[in-house]
Amino acid sequence: MAHDQQQNPLPAPAAATVALKIDQLCVLRGPVLVIDHLSFTLDAGRFCCLTGPNGAGKSTLLRTLAGRLPATSGAFTCPVGRIYVGHADGLSPAISGRHNLASWAALYAIDAKPDTIDHALDAFDAGSFADRPVHLLSRGQRRRLALARLGLAPPNSLWLLDEPNAGLDHAADTHLDAMIAAHVSAGGMVMAATHGPLAASVPQVRLELAGNKAGASR
Amino acid sequence: MIPFFAQIRRDLAIAWQHRQDLAVMLVFFVIIIALFPLAIGPRQAVLTELGVPIIWIAALLAILAGFDRLFAQDVRDGWLDQVSLSQLGLGWYALAKAVSHWLTAGLPLLVMTPIMAALLDIPMAQLPVLITALLVGSLALTLLGVIGAALAEGARHAGALLALLVLPLAVPILIFGALASNHDSGIVSPHLMLLGAVLAVLLAIAPLVAASALGTGETETGL
Repeated sequence: MAHDQQQNPLPAPAAATVALKIDQLCVLRGPVLVIDHLSFTLDAGRFCCLTGPNGAGKSTLLRTLAGRLPATSGAFTCPVGRIYVGHADGLSPAISGRHNLASWAALYAIDAKPDTIDHALDAFDAGSFADRPVHLLSRGQRRRLALARLGLAPPNSLWLLDEPNAGLDHAADTHLDAMIAAHVSAGGMVMAATHGPLAASVPQVRLELAGNKAGASR
Repeated sequence: MIPFFAQIRRDLAIAWQHRQDLAVMLVFFVIIIALFPLAIGPRQAVLTELGVPIIWIAALLAILAGFDRLFAQDVRDGWLDQVSLSQLGLGWYALAKAVSHWLTAGLPLLVMTPIMAALLDIPMAQLPVLITALLVGSLALTLLGVIGAALAEGARHAGALLALLVLPLAVPILIFGALASNHDSGIVSPHLMLLGAVLAVLLAIAPLVAASALGTGETETGL
């Protein structure tokens, strides 16, 4: 068994509803079975921390849940909306961060008024550079713009975050932790892959991926 | 705003920032056409005869030249990942891409066509027929290019692969388009109707093909 799931004793939420259900999921990347018969459930209002060494399949799992990689076998169900923040920021370098955020909100049919967008940008102190073309911004600034989407996300959604705190400064790190805490306490779900500490104050379910160290062996 | 129009608006804003690409495409179109009279020499009858086919070939090449980059930037930026989870869906996304590409590539060509027709000594009376056929034909070519771009996305030589995929399939559009452009009696000819039929078929299948190609393909982002 390649996966080691540890459930920390947690205070049970008022109405524990299984919202994300992964059933015997296998994902093949080339010849390597990266995710090997993973079964896992995440209740609403829980924060799941994906850990494991490089190549363990954290990004693969998140991309599969985001619908960007096909499951080789098995399946998952998630009745709520999913918000994915991957390694790529999903920002066009040619237009401003504000325009990127506004078109993202429109695509997700989120009714975003200008002050809602301002509010989401301010959550990551991104207001000062949001009107500049994204190609002029630094790595960390782009990351903050990508994460500013979370401020527009519907409250019951599942956030799939792939190393969200990579490249963030300390202040932005704190904002992200606060945002995760608020989302979880409002009944949303967060699944985040991380190497460092992330939202340590939030009670978390750990999902440790070990990957397939033997390569192509089953 | 409806997601479909938001995507078009976003693409047009990006295209405006890259407006030199549009200029390059238009100059390409003009140069191909301008080279033919030089190669043919001072034989006006030949030029008049070949004028319509020359415009069609130039339009075909100019429209398809921009397609290798149609999805590449969105894939690299990670925008496609965002689209696939959104309310828009990949099929409507592909259609929105087709609309914005036509507005930034097909429409300028149509505007340039009267000038090019004068250069090739095509009679003014033939212009409405030619423009109508080019309008339908450029829409069909754009949808064909969307299919090709989605299938070739992620390949190492996407541009060459795209040409190999799309140019043979563009043959019916070229045949019916050139025939419709030479029709003498009235704008609506049987050839134009057949061209319209090609457009209708492509309109139905292009979003489906593009969505399935973009949905399951392993993209280069992320891992």
